[in-house]
Amino acid sequence: MDSSWKLTDAQLREWLSGLIEGNSVVAPVEEDGVLLFRPIASEDQAIVKPSGKTRWSPKEFLFPRSEALYRYNFKGGSVQLEDPSLPEGHQVLFGMRSCDASGIVRLDEIFLSGTKDRLYAARRENTTVVSTACAAADPECFCTAVGYSPVGEEGSDVQLVPVGEDWMLRALTDKGRNLVGDAGDNWAEATVKDEKEIEELEKTVAGQIERSPVNREWSQVLEEGFEHGAWDRLAQHCLGCSVCAYVCPSCSCFDMNHDANAFCGEQCRSWDACTFPLFTHHASGHNPRETRQERYRQRVLHKFAFREENDEPFRCVGCGRCVALCPAGLDIVSTVAAAVEAIREEGADAAR
Amino acid sequence: MPLAEAVPNPYQPSLVRIHDFSDETRDVRTLRLQFVDDAEAGSFAGWEPGQFGQFTVFGAGESVFALANAPWRPNGDNGSAPTIECTFRMVGKVTSALRAMSKGQVIGFRGPYGNHFPVGDWKGKDLVFIGGGIGMAALRSAMLDVINRKEEFGEVVILNGARSVADMVYTEEMPAWQEVDGVRVVRTVDPGGENEEWNGEVGLLPNVFEGLGLDPEGRIVIACGPPIMLHYLFLSLGKVGYSPDQVVTTLENKMKCGIGHCGRCYVGPFSVCRDGPVVTWAELNELPKDY
Repeated sequence: MDSSWKLTDAQLREWLSGLIEGNSVVAPVEEDGVLLFRPIASEDQAIVKPSGKTRWSPKEFLFPRSEALYRYNFKGGSVQLEDPSLPEGHQVLFGMRSCDASGIVRLDEIFLSGTKDRLYAARRENTTVVSTACAAADPECFCTAVGYSPVGEEGSDVQLVPVGEDWMLRALTDKGRNLVGDAGDNWAEATVKDEKEIEELEKTVAGQIERSPVNREWSQVLEEGFEHGAWDRLAQHCLGCSVCAYVCPSCSCFDMNHDANAFCGEQCRSWDACTFPLFTHHASGHNPRETRQERYRQRVLHKFAFREENDEPFRCVGCGRCVALCPAGLDIVSTVAAAVEAIREEGADAAR
Repeated sequence: MPLAEAVPNPYQPSLVRIHDFSDETRDVRTLRLQFVDDAEAGSFAGWEPGQFGQFTVFGAGESVFALANAPWRPNGDNGSAPTIECTFRMVGKVTSALRAMSKGQVIGFRGPYGNHFPVGDWKGKDLVFIGGGIGMAALRSAMLDVINRKEEFGEVVILNGARSVADMVYTEEMPAWQEVDGVRVVRTVDPGGENEEWNGEVGLLPNVFEGLGLDPEGRIVIACGPPIMLHYLFLSLGKVGYSPDQVVTTLENKMKCGIGHCGRCYVGPFSVCRDGPVVTWAELNELPKDY
């Protein structure tokens, strides 16, 4: 237990204050009554609590809402290309919940597999994640229903665990141990009893999440019932606004466009969503997903179906933001359950 | 070395110059492009038929086109530096801007992307290429590769279909394909698309294909066209006894990144740009109807 300590809130804040020297620290900040991740200049801005999450996930600090992929200048009849400079400096993402840390790992699976994304790789390499386990669930939370945990370690370099008024600080990776550095010399080591607290927290929070679990076997049911008529009913209220994708910690779809004037330009990428009609619209006019029903189904199935292996995690980490913020009150867990029930009762081929 | 420094920027294109072009129809053009930097041409040389590229009109955006010329074979006749050809239809913002460009102008190219036609597996077999409209562009590379070394393959039938006589692509080069021993070219236009001089077939591609009465035994069908054409073509192919693993097509989903990241071209778990675009009819049957 050499990498696990017990800190008072004051000690934690002192450490956070130290991190601001030499790092760009991003932490939850209250802005006009809303909790949001923001770069902080002083530790007292940070809101680090045993529960509660930011309105938006922290993904934009690795995968910005919009960014230039390369730039160009028109010179006479020719074109000069310019690679954007790589992001410099080290960033600490402080105080995200366990679900958001898992969301980052889901992003890694997209941007760092096969052909790697240069800008994402640069930011990811220079980022240390300090997550905060949850002592209570928010009303929309459902991590335990989709195979994740309120005390999950996935994606975290350092994990903070609320223990009463105090915090247990666990360095889980080399990056995490580097971030702690010598600071640990002044802290009390955590005891076996403190470690036990993690299990207790998991049980407590899981008990607060009243959603029935999404079974892994349902992926196959959803795939078999792809053309089932239930999707018309289930997606009936979807407005196609795509707030679900924007606030989602694991949604990674993007658009690419050119922004240019007579002298220079750049290729930009910006967040996009499979729930928008133009997402799959061909130049020819053909669109494989012409209806909202087809687009909503794609979003649900991309999270809960189309997995290569049965032990592969769902691409929904259970943060519940999409449930809390959907203007039409759609709930992805209820949708999955209802779709599976309909497909099982009426058969996979029930007419659209 | 830090990870990111070892990772090249996947989005920065190579510069290619418009060397030449030919107008296929009133809205379809074939470009012949040369790399501005010979070193980049060298690293591009290993592409195979069926792969595609992202073409950039600086200031307008990117479009995906199939690589339409025969692949560069170091020991073949194409001894010069590898070039790129693509055939595109003027249909949106980028393609309209591209159509307005002239010889000598520079555009961007990145690629090759995706998997390719298993041309090597077709040796000794009879082949039918079926292209609907601009769909011919995605087949041209494989077709030319086969024609260039025809002795390695069996009988080749090329079925080129278009909505109307004026919409038929590759009319200037088709006679030369026909001259190769064992190659037969069949041209067809949709009913109502013919004119007085038309001496080809009149009928929808699936019907014309059925009418050819080609024995499925030992034959591979390579088809590309709009989704509605493929739907009816597969029905015809099933009716006359082709099995799904004898039929190869190439999917044309909307793509942006070309490297499996942007999420746009998924058909179920299948990312068209990364896992495709070339698929057999058998593989397509395993995927949801989402293309």
